Amino acid sequence: MKRYTQHTTEFSDSAGVPFWKKAAPVDRVYIGYGLFIVLLVVISYILGATHFLPFDPQEINMDLLMAPPQTEGHLLGTDFMGRDILSRLIIGIQAYFLPGLLAIGIALVLGTCFGVLAGYWGGGLDIASTFLSNLLNSFPRLVLILLMVAAFKPNIYLVMAVVGITSIPTVASLIKSKIQFLKQKNFIEAATALGLKNAAIIFKHILWHNCRSVLIIQATLGMAEAILIETSLSYLGFGVQEPTPSWGNMVQSGANYFMQGNFWPSTAPALTILLTIMGFHLLGDGLNNILERKRDQ
Amino acid sequence: MKRLASVFLTIFFLVLVMMLPQAGALSKEDGSPDGGALNYGEYGRPATLDPITSNDMIALRVCELIFNGLVGIDEKQEIVDDLAQRWDISEDGRIYTFYLRQDVTWHALEGQDPVPFTADDVIMTYNVMMHPQTITPLKVRYEFIDTVTKIDDYTVRFTLKRPILNALARFSFKIIPKHGLQNSEFITREDPFVQHPIGTGPYMLKNITAEREVILVANENYFKGRPHVDKFIARPFADQNIMGQALMFNAIDMIVLVNHRDIPQLQGDKRFVLQPYNALSYSFFGFNMRNPLLADKRVRKAFTYAVNRKEMLDSFFQGQGTIISGPFAPGSWAYNLDVAPLPYDPGKAQQLLTEAGFTRGDNGIMEKDGKPLSLTLKVPIAKESEAVKRVILAFRNYLSKIGVEINAEFQEWLAWKEDIFLNHDFDIMFASWVFDDSADISSLFHSAEAGPWKNNFGAFSNPDVDSLIVESKLTLDHEKRRTINRKLHDIIADENPYTFLWTLTNYAAYNKKLRRVAIHPYKFFTFADGWFIPKSEQR
Repeated sequence: MKRYTQHTTEFSDSAGVPFWKKAAPVDRVYIGYGLFIVLLVVISYILGATHFLPFDPQEINMDLLMAPPQTEGHLLGTDFMGRDILSRLIIGIQAYFLPGLLAIGIALVLGTCFGVLAGYWGGGLDIASTFLSNLLNSFPRLVLILLMVAAFKPNIYLVMAVVGITSIPTVASLIKSKIQFLKQKNFIEAATALGLKNAAIIFKHILWHNCRSVLIIQATLGMAEAILIETSLSYLGFGVQEPTPSWGNMVQSGANYFMQGNFWPSTAPALTILLTIMGFHLLGDGLNNILERKRDQ
Repeated sequence: MKRLASVFLTIFFLVLVMMLPQAGALSKEDGSPDGGALNYGEYGRPATLDPITSNDMIALRVCELIFNGLVGIDEKQEIVDDLAQRWDISEDGRIYTFYLRQDVTWHALEGQDPVPFTADDVIMTYNVMMHPQTITPLKVRYEFIDTVTKIDDYTVRFTLKRPILNALARFSFKIIPKHGLQNSEFITREDPFVQHPIGTGPYMLKNITAEREVILVANENYFKGRPHVDKFIARPFADQNIMGQALMFNAIDMIVLVNHRDIPQLQGDKRFVLQPYNALSYSFFGFNMRNPLLADKRVRKAFTYAVNRKEMLDSFFQGQGTIISGPFAPGSWAYNLDVAPLPYDPGKAQQLLTEAGFTRGDNGIMEKDGKPLSLTLKVPIAKESEAVKRVILAFRNYLSKIGVEINAEFQEWLAWKEDIFLNHDFDIMFASWVFDDSADISSLFHSAEAGPWKNNFGAFSNPDVDSLIVESKLTLDHEKRRTINRKLHDIIADENPYTFLWTLTNYAAYNKKLRRVAIHPYKFFTFADGWFIPKSEQR
């Protein structure tokens, strides 16, 4: 006999009780911190976009190279060209915000498509999508990005497109296994029996009700991933190009002076990266625990 | 001969400044103690270790320890005997006869008897160098030689196509052994010899470790006497930030080229010696005169006026260098000190741009006939790009103040070379030239040198310059050539095909335990066999 055990993954099942009320305290802290970081990122993005900054981030001051924090109003000091670090940190988020969303968008949309094709219809489509996934996974991501950069130009949107494409297999396999799991459930069977169209079943009953948490988690992790990739590329000199600031190229150029005792030009962006990535990861983790009820089981 | 190189990237041109590991007067009965090892930090790993196919400074420094030439140079920059003990030059200056030393042997491989050095080695080296299948930057430098003949085992005669000035100095090319190569016709980078060279010099290659450390040991049978220091070890550093620290913590004993930002720290440290040496090189921004906007010399001059070179030199290089005005390296005899560098004068720059017909556009960028002065600056990404990056950003900033927009593009080294020298797809480029002592700028500014893969990448063309260059090449009188070069300097400074920046003072840093250190400005280790470490400090 088949039992109805589907409630653990069905959102509507827990209707009535807001999900955050059932969250463990630690998850609330995770999510609270994560949301705080997201808020900061959004505020920074707006500040940067409206140029509401303490200093002009591009203004070179040759008399004030690598000034320590608190010098002449520079809260975090100045970098190797005498530019204000705080302003550059704030405007640096521009390097990730839209490109990061692009990467996430590509990964989620295409990943979901492949996942649905492989999971819902299966058969040849499953084999084909597995093949494509393996093909993509067999390339080391960073090498692939470096190849693209060498073939074209160091362009952050291009890089992020590659990041998005290489993330497709991860998303696709998550969605696929989720669908394969759901397909055995009675409510899908019932929906099919009631004559609902495939599109309605896939979009409403599968993706919207049962997969959105997975997608949200992947989106938060994707942003963290985007920042990390840009940072690694910057270290190799292929990230966002000067004079446009990004946290990665700030760390990289600051690191050249680290040994001379000027730690702040690289430490400030490095800490920013750390705290931000941690924020996105904790948010993802917290959401995972609550929405997927991982902690209860 | 020159070649283009980014300042801190060590892919330099191989310029032979007739230098050899030359002990000079130091016969090894100089009372200095033998023993000890010298670890020196290098900027990377040499691809090859032979003197013919190598074209980077790292390999050339190692070659300096392993090989000798027919003639060498002493610390006073005078030509002295090396593998040749004496020589005759015919009246017409076309026949050079070298009488070789008879007591020289090649480094012996383990378990083998040392092979004596003979005239055959010299002739084979020349033939290999000129063989069409050998790829070497040396070839053009020796095309003035017509024939080489062996008179006997220890006498070689070179016949020149035409007499040239300072020909003797060119016979400092390193001699390789006839028995060393896989085939005695030509040499490629696949030949095992390039990884395990055999020479006649004060040090012989022991091995290259898995970490690509090059270990050299003293040649007990060196014909000028055994060198004092037992071992030389070249240690490659991927990250230059660590090299200075490695010296401080005694992991290495010497840095061949100190990063300028490390200088203040090393200066204050009593354990080390910071020794300046003058390399014949300079940095510049080169303009592409194929671009009609840059073909106007007033525009090029305006750019030079707009750039505060002194401020950059002081802020980024601790003032360790000299601002230059013209195409010759300031350390060379050809440099004309009467031509002063253009001063920093943004007002004058503005004025020149206005004279050239530019007006301020709506967005603050100067424009002429609706064409904005928005230019692409191409820069190679080097490992040590941070000082370059500063210069580029500052340059961009200076020019934005006079209404010129610069889009800086940092490119991978090979892609950059292709864009500059082959496709000529750039407006401004940043690089440095490294010179030998011949002060020959014909490949840089003669209009015939403007083709693909040639050094006049900006297509500079000036009939006066062309004729002066030709005249300078033909003359055999040193004073006359000097006068011509001064004139050339004057014209090129005025034409301003480059914004000439500066020549930097190079510094070597080494531990005080190392004594009697003399450094050759270009080849570095030329006099290394006279260096020693006192017994008490050998560890």
